[in-house]
Amino acid sequence: MIKPWKIASVAALAVLGVAGCTGDFLSGGQLTTDPNRPTSATAAQLVGGVQSNLWSLWGSDPARVTGMWAQQFKGLISQYVSLYQYAHDETTTNGFHTGLYAGGGLVDLAKADSLAIKGNDKHTLGISQIMEGALMGTGADIFGDLVYSQALQGKTNPTLDKQQAVYDSVQKVLSAGIANMASSNPTDVGPGSYDQVYGGNPASWTKLAYTLKARFYMHTAKVDGLAAYTSALANAKLGLNDPSIDYKGVFQASPLAETNFYYQFNGPAGRGGYMGIDPQFINLLVTRNDPRLSDYIDTTADYVSATRNAPDYQQTYVSAAENLLIWSEAAYRTGDPATALTKLNAARALAGLGPDVAAAAGGQALLTEILTEEYINDFQLGEEAWNLYKRTCFPNLTPTVSNLKMPRRLYYDSGERQTNTNIPDAGTGVNGSFNQLDPSATTSDGGGACLDQ
Amino acid sequence: MLKRILSVIGASAMVASAALAQSGTTVSGRVTNTAGAPLAGASVFIPSLNVGTQTNDAGRYTFVVAGNRAAGQTVALTVRVIGYTAASTQITLTNGRDITENFTLTSNPLRLGEVVVTGAGTETTREKLGVTINTVDSSAIRRAANPQNLVSGLAAQAPGVEVRTQSGEPGASADIKIRGGSSLSGTNQPLFVVDGVPIDNSTSSTTGGQGSTVSANRASDINPDDIASVDILKGSAAAAIYGARAANGVVLITTKSGHSGPTRYNFTTSTNVDNIDTGNLKLQTDYGQGGGGVTQVCTKPNCVMNSNSFGGKLAAGTPTYDHLNEIYNTGYTFDNNLSVSGGNDRTTFYASGGVTNQDGVLVGPQNKYNRATFRLKGSEQVSSTLRVGGNFNFIDTRGNYVQKGSNVSGVLLGALRSPPNFNNLPYLNDLGLQRPYRFPNPTSVQALENAGYYDNPFFVLNSPGNKSELNRSIASFNADWNPLSWLSFNENLGADQYTDSRLEALPITSAGNAAGTVTRNDFTFLEIDHNLTGTAKHTFGDNFSGTITVGQNLNSRRDRNLNSNGQQFLSPTPLALQNTVSQTSSQNESLAHIESYFGQATADLYNQLYFTLGVRNDGFSTFGASNRRSNFPKASAAWNFTHAMGIDGKGVLSYGKLRAAYGETGKEPPVYGTITAFSTGSTFGSGYGDGINTLFGPGGIVSGFSQGNNALRPERSKELEFGGDFGFFNQRADLSITSYNKQTSDVIIQVPTSAAATGYGSKLENGAKLSNRGIELAFNVRPIETQNVSLQLGTQFAHNKGNVDNLLGAEFIGLGGGFTGANGSATVGYAPGVIRGSDFIRCGRGLKLDYNGSGVQDIDALCAATPGGYKKNALFLGADGLPVPDPTDRVIADPNPKYTMNYTASLKLWNRFTFSGLLDLRKGGNVWNGTEGILITKGTSALTDVRGTTNGQFGVNFDTKTYPYTAGPGVAVVPFTSQAKWDSWFAGNGGGFGPVGEQFVEDGSFVKLRELAVTYTLDAAWLNHVVGFTSADIRIAGRNLHTWTKYSGLDPEASLGGAEFLTQGFDYFNSPQTRSFVVSVSLNR
Repeated sequence: MIKPWKIASVAALAVLGVAGCTGDFLSGGQLTTDPNRPTSATAAQLVGGVQSNLWSLWGSDPARVTGMWAQQFKGLISQYVSLYQYAHDETTTNGFHTGLYAGGGLVDLAKADSLAIKGNDKHTLGISQIMEGALMGTGADIFGDLVYSQALQGKTNPTLDKQQAVYDSVQKVLSAGIANMASSNPTDVGPGSYDQVYGGNPASWTKLAYTLKARFYMHTAKVDGLAAYTSALANAKLGLNDPSIDYKGVFQASPLAETNFYYQFNGPAGRGGYMGIDPQFINLLVTRNDPRLSDYIDTTADYVSATRNAPDYQQTYVSAAENLLIWSEAAYRTGDPATALTKLNAARALAGLGPDVAAAAGGQALLTEILTEEYINDFQLGEEAWNLYKRTCFPNLTPTVSNLKMPRRLYYDSGERQTNTNIPDAGTGVNGSFNQLDPSATTSDGGGACLDQ
Repeated sequence: MLKRILSVIGASAMVASAALAQSGTTVSGRVTNTAGAPLAGASVFIPSLNVGTQTNDAGRYTFVVAGNRAAGQTVALTVRVIGYTAASTQITLTNGRDITENFTLTSNPLRLGEVVVTGAGTETTREKLGVTINTVDSSAIRRAANPQNLVSGLAAQAPGVEVRTQSGEPGASADIKIRGGSSLSGTNQPLFVVDGVPIDNSTSSTTGGQGSTVSANRASDINPDDIASVDILKGSAAAAIYGARAANGVVLITTKSGHSGPTRYNFTTSTNVDNIDTGNLKLQTDYGQGGGGVTQVCTKPNCVMNSNSFGGKLAAGTPTYDHLNEIYNTGYTFDNNLSVSGGNDRTTFYASGGVTNQDGVLVGPQNKYNRATFRLKGSEQVSSTLRVGGNFNFIDTRGNYVQKGSNVSGVLLGALRSPPNFNNLPYLNDLGLQRPYRFPNPTSVQALENAGYYDNPFFVLNSPGNKSELNRSIASFNADWNPLSWLSFNENLGADQYTDSRLEALPITSAGNAAGTVTRNDFTFLEIDHNLTGTAKHTFGDNFSGTITVGQNLNSRRDRNLNSNGQQFLSPTPLALQNTVSQTSSQNESLAHIESYFGQATADLYNQLYFTLGVRNDGFSTFGASNRRSNFPKASAAWNFTHAMGIDGKGVLSYGKLRAAYGETGKEPPVYGTITAFSTGSTFGSGYGDGINTLFGPGGIVSGFSQGNNALRPERSKELEFGGDFGFFNQRADLSITSYNKQTSDVIIQVPTSAAATGYGSKLENGAKLSNRGIELAFNVRPIETQNVSLQLGTQFAHNKGNVDNLLGAEFIGLGGGFTGANGSATVGYAPGVIRGSDFIRCGRGLKLDYNGSGVQDIDALCAATPGGYKKNALFLGADGLPVPDPTDRVIADPNPKYTMNYTASLKLWNRFTFSGLLDLRKGGNVWNGTEGILITKGTSALTDVRGTTNGQFGVNFDTKTYPYTAGPGVAVVPFTSQAKWDSWFAGNGGGFGPVGEQFVEDGSFVKLRELAVTYTLDAAWLNHVVGFTSADIRIAGRNLHTWTKYSGLDPEASLGGAEFLTQGFDYFNSPQTRSFVVSVSLNR
């Protein structure tokens, strides 16, 4: 017979023996440190990360949807048929709005800003600010009113700034960026090769910032009128002046996640055939005998050209051509048709076109030609083509559905609507298809009544 | 011959028994029921000597007590068999004397005296249980509709246990939910424990569950033939001993063991012939490929064809093709199992080998599932106080799969979208290039790269490269030490380890990637579990006894996943990474530890009152630093009132027990959920699959979408259950009722946060609340029980009402599993896992919106202005007579059934024939028929035949079933006056690519005839003489023979993502269940 106390002590020892080595059985090492994800980043890495996200905003689905509404593209099958016919709701845009603020958006620019300030690196700070302007300006184009002045403050229900106020803030942050790019301290090292587009070159970033300022002034012209055109003109004069420094997405042939969006969409993502070129856009180029037809379009299939559908096609998002056309239109609007014609022809020259014969007549003909060139130059830049239309009702497009009007804005994400009571319910008019301050135009700047009425 | 082989296999064991038989006492006899029918498989043993055997099919047993142990003492001889009351008698062992002892056992359908495993090394008898534990025996699993997967085998076996098998393709996962869902993350699958060792039952698709291929839930690796019984711990009171892993219940699996006595052999072979039940899905054969009523013909190389079938009416005699049935053929499943078991008074063993070969119902060689398993389980009585045992199980599972679901290479997607007049064969053209219907005449791979198309289904069916090869070992060591009569210790140390090598390839010319792509996904998993308990018991006089158990559990789980993707094949084969132009890789690994202590006390009073009280203290490395430990208490009571009233076994109410239980269980936070990290992925997801990372150049980084939370606690379910078990007319009928109320709090969700305010789209937080209330009922009656005829009828019923009570202020959170426009969610006020999407504008919803660009309008006012007013939820028709999409995202479907029921019947004649049947019923539960939506857009659905009419009007002669009422300005307008108008409606808002998912939601109620079988038992003497077996069971059965349902798709049970997603009810180009005919022969010795 074994003594009970012996048994008890053996059992106790066994339990203690196992428990004894468990002092840190629940923490330490991979138990409480994530082996999969990084938890720190440098300002240059963050700026590099945001930059590729900006290309998504300008080149991925937001550009496709708005490009279809501007009737440069046409939805041929599946969901894109409905989208082409203006059917959109909160889920259409899931992610676009969040992307302005979350990973790759403002949150990382704010982190980059504070790291750059800590390192006294005004170039990285300036680039971060210019990206902020680009991001939030495009956000205002797409969504109208936005949380901006109260963004990232952890406030419950932050209030929305009016679209006009967002554009004003965008101008300010772009100006601040330009000022910082002018600094030349030894600590202004910039993001270097993390900036795949300009390698951190201050001059290029400065010019880009001026063109962006001009672009966003143009977007406010429907409300601000002459003042906006005057400001756009002043900034365009300092903007991108050489196609060699056009702002492009630096896509490459591989890996897949670094390839051009059109290639991904039509190829590996399996959406080939969803979206072709709108016949009215092809007709426009054919009628004008425009040599860009073959650059833009594969006319055998009425599809985006093989060049532009290549995985490593480096799509231009902000260009010297755009800058010249803004200069041209702004000059025209402010009463300087001579400069307008010169800049129009300079822009045409970049596309391999001779001087514009029709425009030489001046007046409405000149304006029509400028707007047409802008519209053609905006190919694949859906938001820009759409903004041009919203501002001018040009070209005077026939709505794809007879009793509907072309949407003027996208819905906020439902996630944001749920977590911020200041975001109105979908479909109430405010969070609907139109900005309060952006009604349909009654006449087209190309002449005649706007068909979208 | 077979006899000789078996003799060799069992030789050593037989030699051992023969040696012992030379002296000692031979105990033999027969065990029958009160009607005189023999009872097979009954354990007859002497507990004090730990020696005994099992009865054969004739109910006979014989075993020998070794001479050195038979010393004239009087011992108890006990007999136990499932379904009967155990019996005991005293015998005196005298050397050299034979004892014959026959037993007649009374039926005990309530299984009152049976030992029930209650988890973590504890057990009790069923009559003392204060909680519900459903026991499913091995034969029920073997008979199940999909016996290859033990989880499928649990379908319709216990009330409140809902099982959905993903599809009829080999290797498909099965989703199991017990009493609704208790969590909003993960998939609410219960914890699986095999012989005391927790095992992995995760389901991971190789490249994302909506597309990819079917993928197995890992518990399906267990060979169902090895299983002796399955105990399902449903409620928190039953499962609390597993603490923070048990909120979704626990499935305890006990494998077969050897028994001392003659070595026993069992060889079972079964052949299933499987085919497909295509349900109510109908395709049109009247209109050809094309658009606008114009048939398109491909006349030149590289012609781009219309993807729809809105061409002209096909001329009489035009050949058409049955694109649904042509991709299926007859499948076969061969299942062979051999087991040998036995032992002597000190040692027992069980050895088995099983091979399952399944060739699925899809045409072609690429849908196969093969599993080989072997198990060796043994125990040794080392000394009078110590027994040690080991259990080793090796599994080799291999599958070849076919691309499915939402995926341009999915087999049904390409097949069902094919125009009726397009012959998908041959699937390669003269140049050896794929021939998809949208691009039927390609001249080069480059031409295909620039074209949009869906894969030709036969190309998919013949594409190799979707594989899984898994090796798995589950092993354990256990020791029982009983140093004192009142004190025992139990140690169980186990490990579950597997490597699953996956390959998924889209060969060159695949629609998804014409240049080709291959993904290698290797999963490795290791779980080690140590569970030590000490139990002390004491009896205080006749009327009070009790036990106290304390235990410790240590657990370590290591998960690794290495994923490599290669793009663009250099050469068509091999489908290997090094044969691609570019590769990307990622690894994901995790480590989680558990350190827990638990205690439990039981008290038995006056043989009628039973109390259990317990608590588990859990420490998990996944809990936040400030909440590293948590307690999970439980308490239960059971009262046998018929015993108290002295009416046990008599009268109308022959048995009655009332029970009440309360318990708490939990669910751990996701691993590394405490950490906020950076990512290289983009926040912008276009929803169309194009995306970008941030790695350009030296590599950018952005913040992750979600914030971690270092204060995470386990989720907590508090469940109160009441019930009773009753026997009537001397247990000729029995009834079991349980009602439960489970309140789950601290549920962890990705709370949407205002990105504008925080910079993050969501944050992991405790605090959501949900509840499940329900009732479960089981009723069985045995109206005839004679020696030659016995009939048993049974029914089960379960109703569960789940409700999301609170989402920390959010109205809903997304749970995925579906699509933009119809996606899984948790929404306040609904059961977990409802589908959200958009509807058309309806009357009576108080909508005020700008529906036609002319400013915000009051919809209800417009509805009211209709002549005759409006009915609530009437379809609002715009001025053109068409419904208008409502942009509001809302709940459009609840896939959770209102109730489930089943009926079983079993008739046994002359102890030779057994006829059995099982009818499975599900009432309610919506299915989103995404397949139909798309087929309408594509013009291949038979519903689009309406295009030929010119008077189509909502609510009058179109969609009247879905929309019986209409209102609004267009109520009298006839919108469909031409084929073109129909076409544009189907292509837009009326089709599956439009924004309105609600129009494709259907009632998924069904009744399925799961099983109809007859078994013949043969135990004639010649069988033994000729083939060396004492008995044989020959069984002919049909499974899933018929489905009664109004669901218009393939199968209301279909589940696109299977057990990988919480939200069920998505039908999107996935295969239905199979219908099988089975012949099986089981030989016993």
